[in-house]
Amino acid sequence: MSGGEHVSVPEEIYFLCMLHNIGATSSERALTFEEIVRWTMLEPSKVEQNLKILMDGNYVAMSVDSGTKKYFITIDGIRKVLSMYS
Amino acid sequence: MNICMLTWEYPPRIVGGIARHCFGLTRALAKRGHSVHVVTLDFPGAPLYEESDGVKIYRVPIELGHPDFIIWVLIFNHFLEKKIAMLSRSVRFDIIHAHDWLVAPAGIASKHYLNAPLVSTIHSIEAGRARGIHSPNSRIIDGVEWWLTYESKRIIAVSNSAKREIEEHFHLPSGKVDVIPNAIDASKYNISVDRESVKRRFGIAPYERIVLFIGRLAPQKGVEYLIKATPQIVRVNPDARIVIVGDGWLKDHLWSLAVQTGCQHKITFLGFLPDNDLVELTVSSDVLVVPSVYEPFGIVALEGMAAGVPVVASNTGGLSEIIEHDRTGFLAYAENPDSIAWGVNRILSDPGYASWLTQNAKRKIYEMYSWDAVAERTIEVYRRALEG
Repeated sequence: MSGGEHVSVPEEIYFLCMLHNIGATSSERALTFEEIVRWTMLEPSKVEQNLKILMDGNYVAMSVDSGTKKYFITIDGIRKVLSMYS
Repeated sequence: MNICMLTWEYPPRIVGGIARHCFGLTRALAKRGHSVHVVTLDFPGAPLYEESDGVKIYRVPIELGHPDFIIWVLIFNHFLEKKIAMLSRSVRFDIIHAHDWLVAPAGIASKHYLNAPLVSTIHSIEAGRARGIHSPNSRIIDGVEWWLTYESKRIIAVSNSAKREIEEHFHLPSGKVDVIPNAIDASKYNISVDRESVKRRFGIAPYERIVLFIGRLAPQKGVEYLIKATPQIVRVNPDARIVIVGDGWLKDHLWSLAVQTGCQHKITFLGFLPDNDLVELTVSSDVLVVPSVYEPFGIVALEGMAAGVPVVASNTGGLSEIIEHDRTGFLAYAENPDSIAWGVNRILSDPGYASWLTQNAKRKIYEMYSWDAVAERTIEVYRRALEG
């Protein structure tokens, strides 16, 4: 951190960025749990843990498509990601 | 002139100052009769094409992704470039204007195949944002930024300090960089609000005085120093409430820091707010603090000044050019909670001083920071790019 202690970007934020960069940015572009695991190459337990934290913070939302759960980033989530880069 | 404006953020995709800058500039250019085409990224709920105040806005969907940020940027640049190529079949662009490294590949490629000069506005550089080049991604971004400055016919910096930083860091020939400051639409702050009702809406007691921060919750914005200043502020002014507007990856850390100060009950995190709420809250505030560590310009300081709110800002970068200490605002030492607390307490404790600052600040805003003036100067840069 500038001028003070060093603070690392939390793991779930990196995960949120990955979801954003692979395009899960609206309900129409939502991805299944398995697709997210394949894209991010993270352990399923890690994906599950990160999704829970991000859904609790309203940065990720879930939709159900033909009985399948899918996940996408909310507008607040997109803004959170963009705040990393702007 | 047919202008192709390339930016990765444009309202409602708003993160930092770039979206607001591009919005104000494009409208002012269109008002002068120029044909302005904004090519930007899509955003949920926003139309892929619209014309607003004479500005044509194309929001490009990114049809392919990748978890890696740099690869994702290169991919979305491909889609931006494709859109520009399609537009160029019906529009002969005179100027390509790119904003920051994120759209550099599309801007540079378009310059070459359209044979049109490239003008770039560099809002900040990686070496400043990251306080040095410390990672492979930072090194790539730094390289792309250099590439953009090399390929651009003219470069626009948003302050004199940003100009110096860009010239020195990228070893640019003298005379290639012009300074055009940011601006704001000051008229939107000429509103009367019921301050008590605004405070109630945000959970703030009517008797409390608002010490406002607006910005991304990222290290360069220096919010930690305002939080660390809170105990000293509330000791002198127990009716002060620190209100933090914005979101970012640092949010959880900042909340922990607030708890560590023991003053978390005096600090409110409001998250991202829509523009109308933001204007009303700003107008209802008693002090605006801009505690940035790195700030090439600092558009939020202008917004506070236009709203008639006294500003305490770090004496760094563009902020030290916008604010004249003890005349149009209070310049605090950067990264120094004691100095921030001193400035805030002085303003809250001395209404005459606060009023003196806001009157001078408002006058300066109307004289120097209008979009009309910025558009005129930008057109002049375009003309120079077309001549050379």
